[in-house]
Amino acid sequence: MLSYIVKRLAIAIPTLLLLITLSFLLMHAAPGGPFTYEKKLPPEVLANLNAKYGLDQPLWRQMISYVWGIVAHFDFGPSFVYKDRSVNEIIAQGFPVTLHYGALAFVVAVASGVTLGVLAAIFHNSWLDYLAVGVSIGAQVLPNFVMAPILVLVFTLWLRWLPGGGWEGGQWQYVVMPVIALSTSYMASIARITRSSMLEVLTSNHIRTARAKGLPTAVVILRHALKPSLIPVISYLGPAFVAMITGSVVVDMYFSTGGIGKSFVDSALNRDYAVMMGVTILVGALTIIFNLLVDILYAFIDPKIRY
Amino acid sequence: MKKYLLLSTILGMAAWPALADKHPVTGEELAANQAYNYWMLDAIKSLDPDLATSVEDSDAIKSLFEGLYNETSDGSLEPGVALDYTISEDLTTYTFHLRPEAKWSNGEPVVAGDFVYGWQRLVDPATASEYAWYMELMQVVNAAEITAGSKPVTDLGVKAIDDHTLEVKILAPLPYFPKMLTHSSTFPIPRATVEKFGADWTKPENIVGNGAYILKEHILGEKVVMEKSPTYWDSANTIMSPVTGLTINDENAALTRYQAGELDRTTVPAGQYPRLKAEFPDEATSTPYSCSYTYLFNMAEGKGNPALKDVNVRRALAYAIDRDIVVDNVLQGGQKPAYNWTHWAMNGFVMPTIDYAGWTQAERDAKAVELMAAAGYGPDHPLQIVLNYNTSEAHQKIALAIQQMWKQKLGVEMTPNNMEWKVHTDKLAAGDFEMARYAWCGDYNEASTFLDLFASYSGNNDPKFNNPEYDQLLKDAKTMADPNPNYTRAEEILAAEMPIIPIYHYAKVDMVKPDIKGLPTENVQQNWYAKELYRIAK
Repeated sequence: MLSYIVKRLAIAIPTLLLLITLSFLLMHAAPGGPFTYEKKLPPEVLANLNAKYGLDQPLWRQMISYVWGIVAHFDFGPSFVYKDRSVNEIIAQGFPVTLHYGALAFVVAVASGVTLGVLAAIFHNSWLDYLAVGVSIGAQVLPNFVMAPILVLVFTLWLRWLPGGGWEGGQWQYVVMPVIALSTSYMASIARITRSSMLEVLTSNHIRTARAKGLPTAVVILRHALKPSLIPVISYLGPAFVAMITGSVVVDMYFSTGGIGKSFVDSALNRDYAVMMGVTILVGALTIIFNLLVDILYAFIDPKIRY
Repeated sequence: MKKYLLLSTILGMAAWPALADKHPVTGEELAANQAYNYWMLDAIKSLDPDLATSVEDSDAIKSLFEGLYNETSDGSLEPGVALDYTISEDLTTYTFHLRPEAKWSNGEPVVAGDFVYGWQRLVDPATASEYAWYMELMQVVNAAEITAGSKPVTDLGVKAIDDHTLEVKILAPLPYFPKMLTHSSTFPIPRATVEKFGADWTKPENIVGNGAYILKEHILGEKVVMEKSPTYWDSANTIMSPVTGLTINDENAALTRYQAGELDRTTVPAGQYPRLKAEFPDEATSTPYSCSYTYLFNMAEGKGNPALKDVNVRRALAYAIDRDIVVDNVLQGGQKPAYNWTHWAMNGFVMPTIDYAGWTQAERDAKAVELMAAAGYGPDHPLQIVLNYNTSEAHQKIALAIQQMWKQKLGVEMTPNNMEWKVHTDKLAAGDFEMARYAWCGDYNEASTFLDLFASYSGNNDPKFNNPEYDQLLKDAKTMADPNPNYTRAEEILAAEMPIIPIYHYAKVDMVKPDIKGLPTENVQQNWYAKELYRIAK
């Protein structure tokens, strides 16, 4: 097991380097730059800016000094657009926000999704099944950019229960709507995967044996059926967790949380090269780590899996 | 006597809260809640006056710092740190007398040297300010050379005669020079603080300002919170506090939060003004805003569409646009149809009489058909053009409306070509377009900020319009006591040559809570100062 983990981590480094190289090249290949505007800057002003941010250097040198900054000082450079801040500061401020509401949304999505899926499978073809499937399809087709305004309309404008946006250090009133908006579609997917996988497990031999032994239904489900039926769910959860804790541009934009999800899109549109690289590396590294964790989890859940 | 004094002091103190409830100038009764929350489209990019680039930046900087002059609600000048100025006979040396009581938030006096440092820092290549060119536009001696790196910063034409006297030398007489001093890039900079904290000097725990407010909190993408500064020279008349700017990227989300009482001022999303005006007549406002919207033709030799090099074609296309439909049916926010380039509400600008502005649309259409036929295009030989615009719902709606007008009236087949913002600006710069959507917002409140754009030597002349008479008119206008005759002639040249099609002049369309007073009503630059605001008791 240990050697497997070491091996996976060793592969992670070239993977990240490849990611950095590709993103770096793609980003610089995109037309326009951080300082191109409708109102053009005079050449001497542009030259000073390019010199300050190293954009006057050949691409390979920019790339090397960028990677060196990260390796040697863990410094992701200054933002080209938010001039009072470094990329480290932007991530240090925005990532805890998305981690906060993303992790909560993850818990909500998993708890409600698995419950819905299991209930739908156990009471297959009953009204409960139809209800669970209906709810999850509804949640799936209602994208969060539709969900968010509806939530604000109901909870802020009509009921006056919750503030319409902001973060205020993560006070609960400000967290509720982002969590709901982010978790629903994930909940729906988890419910569907759980349901179909549970249905399959319920027809398998070991469940028939358990039932034949006269075990109570609850024990059959919880002890014998749930664990194997969660394998496909878990493989879905790894990337889903990363996507959730790095936030959603819709949630960040609509609820003004100040989260990192918006930086992803903004930095691409602004050609804020440094922030874009920083966020890409963050998401890339998290994805690698959580895919590894998921693989390790498999071994615990399914004794047949060995590394 | 002593007893009497003491007694009156006590009485005076007791009466103070009651007095404070009235506005010191207007005498209106003030509300107990003087917190002000305003909407910001985007996160603040920088609170450093020399590095600021966006409207959000300069709105906050105008609260945290103060320059030589401020603007009143109608856009005229009001002393800030400067009390007054004298000007030399040759009109190129300004001497400003600074307010001795002006203080930084750390208690230090604001001195002429703080302006000298700020201005030198702005043009210093090491600062790499995006607004370094502003000092060049102000014609400050050696600004251009310093930014280009060929002269040291100390050669800049600005010097501190003593702590309260600032002397500025400019290259040539510039009647609107004082008006340019309200721009945040001309504000003083606290040298000791900048040198101590480096790039971190604008953090709330480090920043030192000379404005009516001090920075309490600044969370990127969420909010900026400012409180009244006790060291500001006019703090006795500063009423609103705290002042909070909330970043809300979605205009509809902002409107909902305004309606929920979380904001005192927000923007009106495109197309919603008529509904909101009907529903909330004392909250929906539309005021002129110094930006103009236009379609550019690519006039550069060997670039763009050859058919558009024919002035008849350009004029036909310009005439066939029914601007009333664009402003009344598409934008619906009190914008004005434009037949000339300079925004109609610019300070001191006399609107020129443009021939086709006075025609009816039917007359314009008839003329357009005639011109198009003369150019050799018609139903069996339709003109085909491509219009570039950056992705936005409003730009798209306008482009589609105009596409239909051209199609129906002239048989022109226009292909709207929508692209990402940075791609659009890249193509504009490279001259890689036939026609392109464009908008310009004035840098200062004078018509030349618009007209200078299409001088052949202007770096922003994307259509590459080249007319020696036009250039000369604008050069001469710089030193004229009344430049309006030249501006009128320049606008006439634009209307005759039609390198651009003016479409509409902007309006700022907002929702403002009815108890908020002190916002600008006729300031076409839309500059506002938190220190002027107050909330009246209902």
